[in-house]
Amino acid sequence: MPRKLIALWAALALAASLTSCSSDANDQGEDQSLVIYSGRTQEYIASLFDDFTKETGIKLEVRYGDSAALAAQILEEGENSPADLFISQDAGALGAVADAGLLDLLSPEILNRVEPRYRATNGDWVSLTGRVRIFAYAPDRVSELPATVDDLLAPSWRGRLGIAPTNASFQAFVTAMIQLRGEAETELWLRGIVANDPKLYEKNSLIVEAIDAGEIDGGLVNHYYIFEVSEELNREINVKNHFFQSGDVGNLVNVSGVGIMKQSEKKDLASNLITYLLSPSSQQRFVAEVNEYSIVDPTLKPVGLVALDQVGAPEVNLAQLSDMQRTQNLLIKVGLL
Amino acid sequence: MAMLSKVSRAKPDSTLQKRQSAPILVLAALATLSFVLLPVLYLVQRALQGEWATTKIIIFRSKTLEVLITTVSLVLLVAAIAAVIGISLAWSLYNVKLAAPNLLRALVVLPMAIPSYVFTYCWLSLGVLPEGFIGAVAVLTLSTTPYVTLAAMAALHRIDSSQIDVAQTLGLNQFQTLRRVTLPQMRNAIASGVLLVSLYVLSDFGAVSLLGVDTFTRAIHNTYQGSFDRSTAAILSLMLVAVSAVVISMEVTTRKRLRIVKSSVAIARQRQRLDSVKSQTIATTIFGVYILTSLAIPISVLGYRFISRSEPIEATRLLQASVSTILVSSIGALLALLLALPIAILSIRSSLLGRLAERGVLVVSALPGIVIGLSLVAFGSDIPWAYQTLGLLAFAYSILFVARSVGTIRNALARVPESLPEIAATLGQTRSRIFYRVTLPLAAPGVIAGTLLVFLSAMKELPATLMLRPTGFETLATEIWNNTAIFRFSEAAPYALLLVAIAAVPTFLLSRPDKDAERGEHR
Repeated sequence: MPRKLIALWAALALAASLTSCSSDANDQGEDQSLVIYSGRTQEYIASLFDDFTKETGIKLEVRYGDSAALAAQILEEGENSPADLFISQDAGALGAVADAGLLDLLSPEILNRVEPRYRATNGDWVSLTGRVRIFAYAPDRVSELPATVDDLLAPSWRGRLGIAPTNASFQAFVTAMIQLRGEAETELWLRGIVANDPKLYEKNSLIVEAIDAGEIDGGLVNHYYIFEVSEELNREINVKNHFFQSGDVGNLVNVSGVGIMKQSEKKDLASNLITYLLSPSSQQRFVAEVNEYSIVDPTLKPVGLVALDQVGAPEVNLAQLSDMQRTQNLLIKVGLL
Repeated sequence: MAMLSKVSRAKPDSTLQKRQSAPILVLAALATLSFVLLPVLYLVQRALQGEWATTKIIIFRSKTLEVLITTVSLVLLVAAIAAVIGISLAWSLYNVKLAAPNLLRALVVLPMAIPSYVFTYCWLSLGVLPEGFIGAVAVLTLSTTPYVTLAAMAALHRIDSSQIDVAQTLGLNQFQTLRRVTLPQMRNAIASGVLLVSLYVLSDFGAVSLLGVDTFTRAIHNTYQGSFDRSTAAILSLMLVAVSAVVISMEVTTRKRLRIVKSSVAIARQRQRLDSVKSQTIATTIFGVYILTSLAIPISVLGYRFISRSEPIEATRLLQASVSTILVSSIGALLALLLALPIAILSIRSSLLGRLAERGVLVVSALPGIVIGLSLVAFGSDIPWAYQTLGLLAFAYSILFVARSVGTIRNALARVPESLPEIAATLGQTRSRIFYRVTLPLAAPGVIAGTLLVFLSAMKELPATLMLRPTGFETLATEIWNNTAIFRFSEAAPYALLLVAIAAVPTFLLSRPDKDAERGEHR
């Protein structure tokens, strides 16, 4: 046979043998291991996973990715998904997977660790940490802080505000507004914002950087970005967090959460992991290392910010934050998307 | 001029033409076509799952029209500007006396080694990039010009210098020679270079997402990851497929019937290069500006970020990611070769299947990686032993990028002069032996070039890789993403630099002139 043909066949054989080079989770068996799809990045959770493995001997195969992208992947995989657990950085992605009926009911012990509003109504997911929407601003250039999101419609804010319409947290905020005020009112507010000449950014971090650089004076972002950007730039930045008045939709608390996949064959092990993640030590680490809020223990809070129960969050059904389609259509309608 | 080209035209290899195609070829081409069309099948499935009323709204609403106009304008502008720059660079290399031409040739092709998301981010972080659409045009033009440059260089190399001499004897100046002799003969090559640029721009997500430009890829992403509405996303993707089909048929109609252009009287002599101060200055400026903006500045930004890092380098992780990247990309490239060969062979024989197959694979290459990824997730997750394996990822790469090699391989096979395989036939060799022992080795440089192109593209790929890789398997691209997702751009710098460095190797190999073709033409 010609040499080249042999070479090509060899390559094929190599490729075929590489199908055995798959994730270890494919060899089911007695070894205790879990497959996790984590929207929470490696930097912020890998060490907790390592400690869990050390304590319990359960191996963790973690697939890191963007929460929404992982949710889209899980939705496509359906019941064939190799995942045992799905950890999502926002309630929307978690809700989408739950709505497709892919999550299993969690045990009462787990569910009772958090308040009812921080878990799914039908009990198939539970929150891990909290992230609060705030108003970031430059203290030297903003004298009058907005009390409500409606204050941002004022002419004094023309051209000074930054938002990120493609960002999941912003869309969650708009979804919450639809829940609280109805679609018509929300459309009015959005049109008001558009008329006020906001600057659009792809990411929340870019908004904070822009405030620091003087491009804009304020922006609607999540609470931890001022810490993140400061760390990345390795210096203090000229940006502070401000909460709107109590109950305002601008203070939306969004959550990262976890659920167990229905087709998982290791639900007990998965429950162990969730219990571990909800434990005081893990929660303390989330707050200390990532500057998020703890959902389980409302007294744990990031440096320099008020406790979660004093944030004045609006009463919103987090599970319904997965209804992003209406939000997206609305954003497209007003020209923000 | 027409007479000259008739004299120099030789018949293409007839052992490849006008015969009944062997059944195995047909089967192989059909198999390739079905693999490559899996994503389209997936899209149609998902689109049909939506309600017709909603579908109608999506297709006809003004936002979609805006997205269509934005996408098409972006493609047209980038293609046009990249063509002008690419042809200028290639022509200058061949016709102007420059210092260090080999180095320049490698440098102008090297921007292909930089992924578009890294490229865009580097420019963004400098703060001088214009926002939105103009910024995207700038960034994408700089990134994709090498595709045209490479094609133009290859075409210029094949032009018979005796024609240029005759033209100048007849009194034509440089520009007229360019317009009436050189450019017409470069037409096919430039068309395929421009096609690659267009498909790249259609499928690009990195640049347009960072710059906030509303193209189809961005709209598709926002839909998948915002409302999780897969049928809407599928409809948008199918519209993108339609746009790319239009672009491809435009290229195909522009393409003249492939002819081998060589003179029977070969004069192997040094080509006279322009050495007037004016031409040298102009050429050097063009090169300087291009290399500065597309290579020097992005690499400097990466270098600066690298130096200003506070954490120590994780050498094992870097090494692991590099090895993984090279491994899976090379397997993907080999698979793409296997997929491309039957189509290329059939395409030369002008068989209907060959033509359809070639366009089919091109159409899919305009789809963004997230669509290919999700389609393979949808099909692959039904096959547990194959799902999230290295093999499936390599297979995804081959589907994604086979289009980039088919054209090059086809052209390489077509350029094999007829005489040699015919001699082999008279000596009693079987057709398949002739192919493997004569045709393929002669076409090897072009075939290797096509495979290198796939290898290079696979190394930079991100969205499909994130979805299909085995859990825990990291490539350089995914490591870049791991860091940029949490805004650790400085941490991403080592991986980005290493990716560019490794990708520079195939890029450099691609930029070298086709020495064998030179020999063949002067026989």
